[in-house]
Amino acid sequence: MFFKLTPTTGQPLYLQLMQQIRHATETGALQDGDQLPGIRTLAEELVVSPNTVAKAYSELEHDGLLELRQGSGAFVSVKRRTRSLADHVQLARRRLRDLIEQLRENGLLDEEIKRAFEAELLYPADIVRKR
Amino acid sequence: MLWYKAWLETRSRFLTSLATLTIFCAFFVRHAQGLIGPGWTADHNRLLFVTQQFLVIMWILAAVLLGMGGIVREKAIGISSLTLSLPVSRARLLAVRAGTGVLEAIALGVAPWTIIFLVSFLAGVPILISQVVFYVALLLGGGLTYFAMAVLVSSLIEGEYTAPAVAFGVVLLTAIIFDAWLRPFNLWRMVTGDFYVDRHTYLLSGHFPWRGTLASMSGAAVMLLASIRVIQRRDF
Amino acid sequence: MTNTSAIRTHDLTKSYGSLTAVRGLNLSVAPKRITAFLGQNGAGKSTTIKMLLGMTRPSSGDGTVLGKRITDPAENRELRREVAYVAEDKPLYGYMTVEQTILFASSFYSDWRPDEAIRLLSEYRLPPQRKVKSLSKGMRTKLALLLAFARRPELLILDEPSEGLDPVAIEHLLQTLVTRAAEGVAIFFSSHQISEVERVADHVCILEKGGLLLDASLDHLRQFYRRIELVFPFPPPEREFQITGVERIQTKGHRMSVFASSNAEDVVERAHNLNAVSVEVAPVGLRDIFLETVKEN
Repeated sequence: MFFKLTPTTGQPLYLQLMQQIRHATETGALQDGDQLPGIRTLAEELVVSPNTVAKAYSELEHDGLLELRQGSGAFVSVKRRTRSLADHVQLARRRLRDLIEQLRENGLLDEEIKRAFEAELLYPADIVRKR
Repeated sequence: MLWYKAWLETRSRFLTSLATLTIFCAFFVRHAQGLIGPGWTADHNRLLFVTQQFLVIMWILAAVLLGMGGIVREKAIGISSLTLSLPVSRARLLAVRAGTGVLEAIALGVAPWTIIFLVSFLAGVPILISQVVFYVALLLGGGLTYFAMAVLVSSLIEGEYTAPAVAFGVVLLTAIIFDAWLRPFNLWRMVTGDFYVDRHTYLLSGHFPWRGTLASMSGAAVMLLASIRVIQRRDF
Repeated sequence: MTNTSAIRTHDLTKSYGSLTAVRGLNLSVAPKRITAFLGQNGAGKSTTIKMLLGMTRPSSGDGTVLGKRITDPAENRELRREVAYVAEDKPLYGYMTVEQTILFASSFYSDWRPDEAIRLLSEYRLPPQRKVKSLSKGMRTKLALLLAFARRPELLILDEPSEGLDPVAIEHLLQTLVTRAAEGVAIFFSSHQISEVERVADHVCILEKGGLLLDASLDHLRQFYRRIELVFPFPPPEREFQITGVERIQTKGHRMSVFASSNAEDVVERAHNLNAVSVEVAPVGLRDIFLETVKEN
């Protein structure tokens, strides 16, 4: 697992870890059912306090992204579709907003933007999987 | 394992003293007769008496050396926090240190006289075991006070070299004081057997000084208890 | 185990004549946490630890470690059974060999783990038959740490543990601390290596001139401490920015630097309202928080 926590960026470490785990589930690096390292193992690997890992896991469990099973560990659970779907959609809307704003700045009209989107969805060009 | 630590700490001091004392006594008793000269009455007994005088001096110096150490000295060299963080009481720390020293001091008294006994026997001049016991008992009974004094000094005075300097100074001082004023209570003359030796036979005779020994042992006990108190009250 | 504080002091004070080393200290160290203890040399850190472990008697005040009173010799002896302490000078007996030292130390504690000791002995590459007095400083440090790490105490107190260690050894040290914390050991350590502290500590206490200046979780510090750099078209109005949360303001020409422990948003809003031409907000690392906090005092 490739997480990197930076103590000096003004963000609590547990939040950084939560973000990175979430990001991993969004990009598919972590799939539904995948097991995350135990609290102790991950803490030792990242050389951070186990409380940081524990808090991140516990918050993610609260958000429905992780399932903590006593004795076995932490498992990714993208099953609770209703909640995370809403999150995804919200995130998507925000991204779209930014993109649309940028396209408008570049001189495109709304009508042109809409047609470009439809074209992409129907006839997708090569999908470049970044990150 | 405090006893083990105390042993490791005092081992070289003890073994060096043991070797010095026994070798000296063996040689002295074996060869000094020729040096002392003819015409002595009861010369071997007198030789033993002289040997005891030398032995007393050396034993007391060794006993003082054995009494050095402890957590105050450890503080002077920066390692007292290891000992003090152990889950043992300060009283126990001192008791084990004192106990080890006492056992070593006893060995330093018994071993030379055992050698003297053997050397005399092998030289064809056997000596009475009762005399050996008398000399050893005098040495230890009175001498352990000096050991206790050394323990007290090492509990009061910080400084790896200051403490022994003061302790030896006290030995010297007591020698002077005893000679100058406290004649009847002269510890030196008690431990060397001066009070009990018969000037004709040079045998120790008379009763063993139980009262004197008791007094001196009590003094030693008081000083050891005082050392415990001092250690308990100190800030490290 | 219970949830009582690992360490709690109540107005702990120690004076040596006219010099006060520790002044009315109210320390509270939670169990199952890694707490860092920062302070300049002479701030009173070592004196505090010595009082906790019964080496020095407080002039006034009291405290408990693992629920046991530090001022009662018998209770203090009991708590020492469950506390592993490595002093700053990494004390060891020069006349013992590495092996004898380990044998000696292990005999006092029921929480000793012999397999762990063997593992650390080879990991640290310590020669068992060598006398301590002929070990290098780095090896002595490692041995002193081994005596603590081969145990599973309730509380681990370390005073400058990384002093004298090379970077690889320091990394090992931090990993060991993390592992112990995961095993439920409360850790209380002091260090001048602020970057280490930032990586592994949950909580930090800053001591200065015998008193506690700051007592906060690192996440809280990360979340709220900010340095706001402002540029105004006119000489900056310092008085306008003396609001709650602002700890220090420095002005130079048209530039103003605001160090805030909270409420950075209010500072930014105020700056905008006062027509600042440039507003930059940056997080503050622990080193700067430490320096500013101590400077202020």
